[in-house]
Formats: sequence, C-alpha cells, structure tokens
Amino acid sequence: MRSRLAEWLVPIGALALFLALWEFAAAAGWLRPIQFPPPSKLARTAVTLAFDGFPEGITLWVHAGITIQRILAGHILAVALAVPLGLLTGSRPLLDQMTAPIVAFCRSVATLSLLPLAIVWFGTGEGAKIFLIGYGCFWVMFSSSIAAVKLVDPVLIRAARTMDADEKTIFRQVILPASLPRLLSGARVALGVGFMVIVGAEMIGTIRGLGSLIMEARTFYRTDITMVGMLCIGAFGLCVMFALARIEAWLVPWQAKQEAQQQ
Amino acid sequence: MAAAIEIGGLAKNFVNDAGPPVLGAVDLTIAENEFVVLLGRSGCGKTTLLNIVAGLEQPSAGIVRVDGAPVTGPGAGKGMVFQQGALFPWLTARRNIEFAAVNRGVASEAAGKLADELLALVGLAGSEHKFPFELSGGMQQRVAIARALALDPKILLMDEPFGALDEITRNEMQDELLRVWAQRRKTVVFVTHSIWEGLILADRVLVMAPRPGRFVLERRIDLPRPRRRSDPTLVALYDEIWTCLRGEP
Amino acid sequence: MKFAERFAGLIGVVLFLGLWEIAARFGWRNPAIMPAPSQAVWMALATIPPLTLIEHVAISLWRILAGFALGASAGVALGIAAGWYRPVALISRPFVEILRPIPPLAWIPIAIVWFGLGEPSKIFVIFLGTFFPVFTSATRGMASIHPSILRAARTMDVDGVRLLAKVAVPAAMPDIATGLRIGFGLGFGVLVAAELIAAGRGMGHLVMEARQLGQLGISVFGIFLIGLVNLVADQQLAAAIRRTVGRWHRF
Repeated sequence: MRSRLAEWLVPIGALALFLALWEFAAAAGWLRPIQFPPPSKLARTAVTLAFDGFPEGITLWVHAGITIQRILAGHILAVALAVPLGLLTGSRPLLDQMTAPIVAFCRSVATLSLLPLAIVWFGTGEGAKIFLIGYGCFWVMFSSSIAAVKLVDPVLIRAARTMDADEKTIFRQVILPASLPRLLSGARVALGVGFMVIVGAEMIGTIRGLGSLIMEARTFYRTDITMVGMLCIGAFGLCVMFALARIEAWLVPWQAKQEAQQQ
Repeated sequence: MAAAIEIGGLAKNFVNDAGPPVLGAVDLTIAENEFVVLLGRSGCGKTTLLNIVAGLEQPSAGIVRVDGAPVTGPGAGKGMVFQQGALFPWLTARRNIEFAAVNRGVASEAAGKLADELLALVGLAGSEHKFPFELSGGMQQRVAIARALALDPKILLMDEPFGALDEITRNEMQDELLRVWAQRRKTVVFVTHSIWEGLILADRVLVMAPRPGRFVLERRIDLPRPRRRSDPTLVALYDEIWTCLRGEP
Repeated sequence: MKFAERFAGLIGVVLFLGLWEIAARFGWRNPAIMPAPSQAVWMALATIPPLTLIEHVAISLWRILAGFALGASAGVALGIAAGWYRPVALISRPFVEILRPIPPLAWIPIAIVWFGLGEPSKIFVIFLGTFFPVFTSATRGMASIHPSILRAARTMDVDGVRLLAKVAVPAAMPDIATGLRIGFGLGFGVLVAAELIAAGRGMGHLVMEARQLGQLGISVFGIFLIGLVNLVADQQLAAAIRRTVGRWHRF
C-alpha cells in the first residue's frame, strides 16, 4: 500500500517541486523571463492560446487541426501506396533483393532535406508539406510491409498447403492476416515519423500549424508561446499514439497477448 | 492389408539436391490404418521424411505413393499436425477447423457442423469461440488434430505434435490421440524423439540414424492398447531402442 | 539465376538511376525542375570547390558526433540508473513522460532562444533527439532482464554495484544497442533539419542554399550526400555493435 502511494506521490512531488523552484527563481530574477518564462505565465499563455490564439485569431485548435490534417493526408497517401507495393516486394525474393539497397538509401535520406525539391515541385503550399510527410511515412511503411510478409511464420503457410489451400487463398487468408500486426505497428511508427517531419516542415514558410506557431513565437520573443506549443505538440502526439495503440489491440487481440507472454 | 503409403529409394540432399545427404535411400511400406512411429535424434531426417510424404518438400530421388498414386504436392487427403500446432492465431478454434473443411469444398454450413462435431470429439466442446492464445498448449494441439481430421484424410502425419508439452499433458494427449484414433481409424505416421511415446502409441516403431537418415531398427508392437509402461515387453523394447540410439555418434 | 541473385542489389540501383537519368533527360528536359543524377553530380563538382564540400560534410559530422556522444552517454547512464534505482525512476518519470512525446525538431526554436544560433543550439537538439530513444531502450532493457539471471548471480554472492555492472548492464546491452541505432538515426534527421532551418554551413545548409540560388542539381547532390553519409555511419555503428554485443546476442 505504501509503495503504491509512493509510486504516485514521488513523481508528482518531484514535478511540483521543480515547478515551484522555477517559479521562485523567475520571481527572484535569477532566470531571464525571455529564456525561462515562469510556469504561471505558461498557464496564462495556454488559456490565451486556446481562446484568442496567436498570431491574432488563429487559436491553438486551428493550428492543431491544420497540422493533423497535413499529417493524415501524407500518412494515408503513403500507406495506401506502400502497403500493396511492400506486400508485393516482400513476397518476391528477387524484387526484394533488387530494391533493398534503394530502400536502405531512401530511408537514410533525412526527409527534410527534400524540402528544396518539394518546394520546386509543389510550391510552398500544402502540396510540399504533404509530399514530405508522405515521403517519410512511405519508406517506413514500405519496409515494414516487406518485413511483415517475410516474417510470416512459414509453418502457417505450410499448414495451409496441407489443407489444400491454393496460392490465392494462402495470400488472402494466411499471409494477409498474419502480417497485419506488423503492418499496423508499421503504420504507427510511420505516423510518428509524420509528426516529426511536419514540425520541421511547418517551420519554413507558413504561419499556420503547430510547427509554425512555435517558430513564429520565437521571432516575436514569445518564449512562453513556444513552450506551450511544444507541450501541446507532445500532448497531441501522445493522444494520437494512444488511440492508435487501442485500435491495434482491438484489431489484432492475439498479437497483444503474444507480446505480453514474451515479456 | 493394402499398402497406404509406399516409399521407394527415397533420398534427399540439401542445397540443390547436391549437398550433404539428409536422407539416404529409404524404403518403407505402411499398411492401411497402421500407426507407425519414426524415432530418432534431432537432425536424423525424420521430419524431412514426413515433409516429403506430406508433399511439402521434394525428394532428390525415389518415390512416395499414397494409395498407389505418386505424391505431387501437399493436400489431397494428407492431414498434418505440426509441433507448434500452427493454428492460425487470428481465427477461433472453430474457424481454424472450418478453414480446413471449406478448402476441400465443404459448404460453409456443413463445415460449421463438422467443426463442432470434431471439437466435441477432441474434448473441446464449449471452447469453439476461443482464440488459440486463450487455449493451453494441450488444447491447442487438440484443435490442431481436429483441424487435420476436418480434411477427412486417409493418412495423418504428425510432426512431434506433443514435443512442446509437459510430460503430464503429453501423457494425457497420447491417451486422447489413441481414443480419437480408435473412433476415426487412419493411417498415422508419427514423428517423435520420445522413446516412451513411440512405445505407447505405435503398431510399429522405426528407429532412425543420421547422416544420411536411414532406418537402423524396426520393431512391431502387437500389445493391446492402452499400454502400461511397466509392461515387461515394453521395458525390454525401451532398453533395446535406447541402446541402439546411444550407439549413434 | 545465380548471377541475378548475387548482383540483384547492384542491378536494382543501376536500373533505378538509369531510369531516372532517362526520365530526366528525355522526359522533363529541365534540370531546374528535375535534374538527372549525372547532371546533379557534375553541377555540384563543377560549382563547389572540393575543400568547401569536405568542410560541409565535416561540420555536419562533427555536430552529429558531438550531439550523439552526449545524448547517448546521458541516455545510457540515466536509463540504467532509472532501471536499477527505484527513486531515480520515480523522480525522472514525470519529466520524461512530459518531454519524450515532443518531437526533437520542436525543440529548435527554444534551443535558439537558449543557446543562440551557434553550434550549441544544434548540438542540443541532436542531443535530445538521441537521448530519449536511448533512455527508453535502456530502461526497457533493464526492466526486461530475466529475473533468474539476477537470482543466479546473487547465489554466487554478487551484489550491489557489482551486480549492476557485471550482470545487469551486460544483460541490458542488446536493448541499449538497438536504442543507440534508433537514436543515431533520429539524431541525424534532426541534424539535417536544424541545418536547413538555421545554419550557415553543413550538408543541410548546402541543400537549402542551392535551392535559393536556383541550382536544384546541387540540392539533389546534397541529398545524395546526406543519404550516403547517414548510411555509412549507420553501418559503421551496426558493425561496431555486431563486433561487441553481437558476439553473444543475435539481433
């Protein structure tokens, strides 16, 4: 009982102590408010952002909505392309060997370095951002899909063969469901990549979206807004990831159990 | 008795049929409804032999006939039970069995009835809607046996089906298998590395030795079932087989 | 067939580059929109003095190595401490849980506020990009040590710091190694982004500057360079891991 209590009290206490010290240090003038605005200021800023917004009229929710729209557009496009291509590549060993170095290379290219190309091809609007997110998500999803097919337990395929299943049935009723867990976790990782890319992409040439919010705030010396914006990005990301994990557990209940047993 | 399985001059080399021999030239004839156990260490080629009979692997030389017809591929009346069950984790027990039935052309309604019947046969009535991960290892193997039976096979190939179970469950499963076999007579080829398992189950035990895989001892066991491990005939056989296996490098 | 299997990767790359070359030269016919690979390389080598090119690569490498070294050592040390000493875990938890979900790139503005536009701000962001994945894998590695290994060590009278250093840390090494690779990959992505957004030198800057000058070929060359450097660095890291942890753990 005592340890259960400590499990909650110690972390909360540590956080409270940290915030209190920060507040005190700011009030005493030891911290420059432009670098470390006190927690009380951050709280007020959060309220302002939620209702009035920054820049004028664009509230936090609008920024978040735009960012999420961009991520989803790029992510869905990438998944829709990568899954069929990856399943095909993963089930053809020669094709897999031929594309392996290209995949490794394209994954190594930091997505944001494609920004100049994206701007030339799609302009500075939505197209470029969706392209960048799509690129980042695509290679993650593509290699997850390849791995998903290759890692299907061969004994399941052999079992299906002994049951007179033809190739089409094996693909649709064995390989596809067997690779579903890895496809889903790949989609989750890809979404994380999308989150990372969008923040960078929004820092260049736009005033809407969470990434631009924190960058714009910096140029106006509103560190408080930058900090609140960062925390919001984290919180939104966490919510989306949590929701996806729940969907995954619901779609592939057997996998969650398997992972639990392995640990 | 008619021959259910005829194996003639069967050989298998790994790596493009030119590598080291896994299976020497092996001859074996199995009668209809006979329960044959292949016994040997890991790597003696017993699983390879079973896979070739199942049509999952191609031999480098020789021929396998099931019911007089050469084996060209898997399926077609050859049921198989794998060591880890190889149940489809995304299907319930019942749907796993239906999968087998539907693939051989049974209408889905009849397949459902068949699945229920087989689940009852293996003592799993009431667990139809459980997923494999909700079943114990022994129960999973019961489903795997039921699934193989749903093919209505003439022969049943079993690759160390109880190898991953603890001994108590394993002994229970052996009794279960004999009970099911008594009701649904099949030709069974059963691979194991447990000497006692072979002695309890088999009409005939074939001991294999590796490099290349071949038969080194063959013993017919005509004792009635269920058998007791204290039976002096079995004890003597155990010693003989153990001596034979231990002699192998 | 044998030949095809052996050189499949090479054939794939040649095919890919060849198709791109043909498409760019005979399809688009406009190097300002879609430069062919050969045009990109030729343009870059003709325009940028070799020394400048080496300088761009070197400065990027220095940043990533500095940030990675700091982030990795802090992540490993704190992760192990949090995985072993309960108070450390409890105290660090709220901070980690709040800060971890923030993508490393989101730290760029605040890094500029705290450290200015110079090197420290970039190294700080790379540090963060590396720290969290390494920290997470280190704590996970510590948490998933099989209890019987620790019990076995205890029966041999190994205890305290010795148990941590000689048994727990080696047992957690495979997870830590995986975290290092993830951390490096993330750190590299952060590096390029940071150089794109605010830098006067480095490979990311090279790519961005070329666009502003309308020399898309140089951008493409820079992108090749980034992918290549990352690939080689990652493979070196993987090889180092194989030589050490890989001797007793299959990845």
